[in-house]
Amino acid sequence: MGIKGERDGIPISIDEINKLRIVASKARNNVIKMQFYDHSIHVGSSLSSIEILTTLIFKYIRDSQSKYDRDWLILSKGHAAPGLYAVLAEKGLIPEEELWKIQDISGLLQGHPEVFIPGIDMSTGSLGQGLSFGIGVATGIRMQGGKGRVYVIMGDGEQDEGEIWEAMTHAVTRKLDNLISFIEVNNYQLDDSTDAVKPKHFLPDVWKAVGWRTLFCDGHDFASIVDAIEEAHKIRAPVVIFAKTLRGKGFPVIENTKVQRASPDDARKYLINA
Amino acid sequence: MMQGSILSMRDTLGKLLVELGEKDPDIIVMTADVGDSTRASKFKERFSDRYFNVGISEQDLVNFAAGLSAVGKKPVVVNFAMFLMRAWEQIRNSIARMNLNVKLVVTHSGYSDSGDGSSHQALEDIALMRTLPNFSVVIPADSADIRRGLPKILQHSGPVYYRVGREYSPQITENMDYEFEIGKSYVLREGSDITIIGAGVLLWDAMKAAEELEKKGISAAVINISSVKPIDEQTIEYYARKTGRIVTIEEHSIYGGVGSAVAEVVVKKYPVPMRFVGATTFGRSARSQRDLIDFYKVNYESVIKESLELMK
Repeated sequence: MGIKGERDGIPISIDEINKLRIVASKARNNVIKMQFYDHSIHVGSSLSSIEILTTLIFKYIRDSQSKYDRDWLILSKGHAAPGLYAVLAEKGLIPEEELWKIQDISGLLQGHPEVFIPGIDMSTGSLGQGLSFGIGVATGIRMQGGKGRVYVIMGDGEQDEGEIWEAMTHAVTRKLDNLISFIEVNNYQLDDSTDAVKPKHFLPDVWKAVGWRTLFCDGHDFASIVDAIEEAHKIRAPVVIFAKTLRGKGFPVIENTKVQRASPDDARKYLINA
Repeated sequence: MMQGSILSMRDTLGKLLVELGEKDPDIIVMTADVGDSTRASKFKERFSDRYFNVGISEQDLVNFAAGLSAVGKKPVVVNFAMFLMRAWEQIRNSIARMNLNVKLVVTHSGYSDSGDGSSHQALEDIALMRTLPNFSVVIPADSADIRRGLPKILQHSGPVYYRVGREYSPQITENMDYEFEIGKSYVLREGSDITIIGAGVLLWDAMKAAEELEKKGISAAVINISSVKPIDEQTIEYYARKTGRIVTIEEHSIYGGVGSAVAEVVVKKYPVPMRFVGATTFGRSARSQRDLIDFYKVNYESVIKESLELMK
């Protein structure tokens, strides 16, 4: 047992938090650095997801030879792929030099996740599809009596997709308690703020009303994320965690705006000061 | 005017899935609230724990199957052809892109949902499905062809689109002795002047046309191209060379379907004149599938007419 966090009952030590913080910081810098090599990557959405991805990959995802006993990570908001790749590189699953070849014809890393990339469990990129896939995986695991859990990460804009509704009601019917979904609430989608395009403030009520256990966390605070996941593991029903995040978190020129990427010059200035 | 017995394709499908489920515990059958109409629910009666009705949600159905497949199960998605196309993008982006072992078994294809009208009649699905990398596309001719082919389809590793009709299913292959194989076509009748190539229930019309042409002194070969993808290039080339003329017939749009697939081979291997019999517009309601086949002239009379044109 390590030293407990500053807040009582948080099941993570300060040491552990510091380790996660170092990983996330490196991954954040690398996502911004990836911009030098390909200006078109989705930086804002990736930075929004860094802490959640770091927590899952470095603290929770269990590996196993068996497909039924390992945990699955599905990045349904596939445009945050650079963030996922940066964290997987810190884990040693992707060589760091591959990060600089993102989206290059000679590189491994595609603009959106593909299963031929190490550490990727579902090819995504078309929004709204990850949760249904996760239900299939979680159902298969349950049928086989496996220990695996399925984590699905979605965006708030993604919630516009009709398939989410289809999957949301389906998961409850299956009573899947090995399925944990994140919805990142950064209040932006491609064209504009979610309020301007299609408001999302009612979503927690909807998910709750159809039978999901609905939790909340600060998606950039490790203690808060861990707290929510620990709580989710105890619940015998599908769980959705609404994670408040900021698009472009930590990169001041685009933080909390709909802008996905800054200029290479802005990125250089950030990295020099990082 | 029908010859031979008529066995419902969907009834055969439902019974056969249960038989195959007995042999393989990994087979899981799922549908989007059309279990009774497709006869998929026969599986539920025997294996309630391996049968899922996800509700009226085809996109979820497809990715649910993809997920089950990713952990090693063998999902068989059974749905109406038309409404599964609603999830074509999910089929493309999840099943085909990850090359997952999911079988899409569709009923009510072509004009077979005659009464429900154009909204329920799938005349574009072959075109949509055969463009997808990794996918095989197979169309059984009749109930006997389903018995022959479905077990092989489920043994095949990789995604398959298996296109079944509904009730109307004149027996064409019942007394024929051949093994089904993905990628192979089957010569139903030998001929030397012209080749008629078709798939599905319209092979009855292909055979009928060949009989009528024979009375006029024209020798027509008939080929069951049940595997539209991968397609049997060798047999198509052989008959193009042998007969010099080809007419195709399909219960589907002539744009992008069986005829187009055959033509792609013909222009590459041995170009010969071709004619296409199939749909060119949406359907409408009718009391029977046969009424629609005749109303839209996707029938043996058109095959005869086109054949005679080619013989000139």
